[in-house]
Amino acid sequence: MKMTLYVAKNSIVHKSDPITKLTYCLVAAIVPYIIPNHLFAFVIMLLSISLLLLGKVFRKMIPIYILSLFLLITIVIIQGIFHPDNVTPLFMLGPITFYQEGLLIASLLIIRIINMLSAFGVVILTTQPDDLIEALVKKGMSPRIGYVIGSVLQIIPQMSSMVGTIMDAQRSRGLETEGKLSTRIKAFIPLIGPVIMNSLIATRERSIALEIRGFNSKRKKTFLRDEKEFLFGKPYQLLLILCFIGAIIWRIFQ
Amino acid sequence: MKKIIVDSLKYKYPGTDNLALNDISFEVEEGEIIGIVGKNGSGKTSLSLSLTGLIPHFFGGGYGGKVLVDGLEVRNSTVTEISERVGYVFDNPFSQMTAAKYTVYEEVAFGLENMGLPREEIKKRVDWSLQLLDLESIKEKYPFDLSGGQMQRVAIAGVIAMKPQILVLDEPTSQLDPEGSEEVFQVIQSLAQEGITILIVEHKLEKIAKFCDKILLLHEGQLIDFNHPQEVFSRDDLKDYGIMPPVFTRVCRALDIKNPLTGHYPVTLEEVTQLVKNHE
Repeated sequence: MKMTLYVAKNSIVHKSDPITKLTYCLVAAIVPYIIPNHLFAFVIMLLSISLLLLGKVFRKMIPIYILSLFLLITIVIIQGIFHPDNVTPLFMLGPITFYQEGLLIASLLIIRIINMLSAFGVVILTTQPDDLIEALVKKGMSPRIGYVIGSVLQIIPQMSSMVGTIMDAQRSRGLETEGKLSTRIKAFIPLIGPVIMNSLIATRERSIALEIRGFNSKRKKTFLRDEKEFLFGKPYQLLLILCFIGAIIWRIFQ
Repeated sequence: MKKIIVDSLKYKYPGTDNLALNDISFEVEEGEIIGIVGKNGSGKTSLSLSLTGLIPHFFGGGYGGKVLVDGLEVRNSTVTEISERVGYVFDNPFSQMTAAKYTVYEEVAFGLENMGLPREEIKKRVDWSLQLLDLESIKEKYPFDLSGGQMQRVAIAGVIAMKPQILVLDEPTSQLDPEGSEEVFQVIQSLAQEGITILIVEHKLEKIAKFCDKILLLHEGQLIDFNHPQEVFSRDDLKDYGIMPPVFTRVCRALDIKNPLTGHYPVTLEEVTQLVKNHE
């Protein structure tokens, strides 16, 4: 089972430089916090959503937006009712009063969260993990960090498959794993021990395997894959960094 | 030319009292295939690991004696330095997958990227090792979607692609069917013919008898015998070391059929056939 969120499409966003997309993601996620303005945050959010639409991956984001709904509703309730700056009542739901100040703050938070999710979506849904890791390693990131990022997505499903095997093995020896909550809790202890032990052993073996395949070699690492030509390279990265610096300067002098 | 020199090697794992390897000495010539046999806990894997430098560098513990691989003293070299001369294949191919690559092709190329080889050379070597292990048809597959046997062959391909001078294989056919095992041993034989020195830990003694030049018999960390398969499998005390000789040898022993030239029992089907033909 290949575990990656990447969606293969033929779009200008997919063909863009992974580092530019990553830089955009970070800048777009942070700048609305530096410039606490509703309109500004809204424009950035629209820009991130436009990139998702341009990359033909917006539909893949819908489940993620739905998942975040619980958090967003919670923000509206807590800020709208309990924020300490609340003075001006806006509307009432039965005995509960929602205040204008709190709801304004909640709306800014919601825009920021949707923007952040969308910006991350632009990177994750339109960039092959290998392309991103390779680009980062070429930029000077340690291959070790690159390996950790690259391997975590693959090791998680392997671990979950191992949990299934261990669960089957314990069930075959009479362990009850289904039914009441107390039964499930009791079953957890004999399952977690072998899972942890197996994971530790597998990690140790894999680190040995990496070692003897020259992972710690001091030589300059080369790459199998041909150099890909990406759109929107360095000048755009520089522009994004300048926007970030500009936002900081604006915040200092405003 | 001697590719491996092991001199009075002693090793003890951290936190243990018993020696896993006790005063082991032997030498291996270039291009030889050596089978390492012995029952579980006899020190086969420890000896293999000591040739890769993982013992003592990775595992720690008490270490004495000297191990030279392709002229490099293991104790004074890093595992990375040794890895360019000695390849190692585990019995568990699952752990040998890097978990950072999405195709068999990329998986096999992993070690070559670490060696810093030019892209064209990487592709040449990957193609060569995939062809050698008959993996071309699955080169675009995701490594964790493969069967145990396929994964085992990918693990071997990944190590062979690095073209080590010495190849150590720890039960490389444990997950393979008889046909797959035979193919792997054929590959091992052709690599030896190219001058690669091979040490193989294996419980399939028929295969060891057929393909190995010499057998290294271990028991409780001690070297019991290091000789040609016919000599080792003709020993009367093999049972004491938990070793059951190949079926051909057992049949010939029961019938008291020995090779008149060597005075030993035959160990392969070919040898038995030849003896019977000569007898007729």
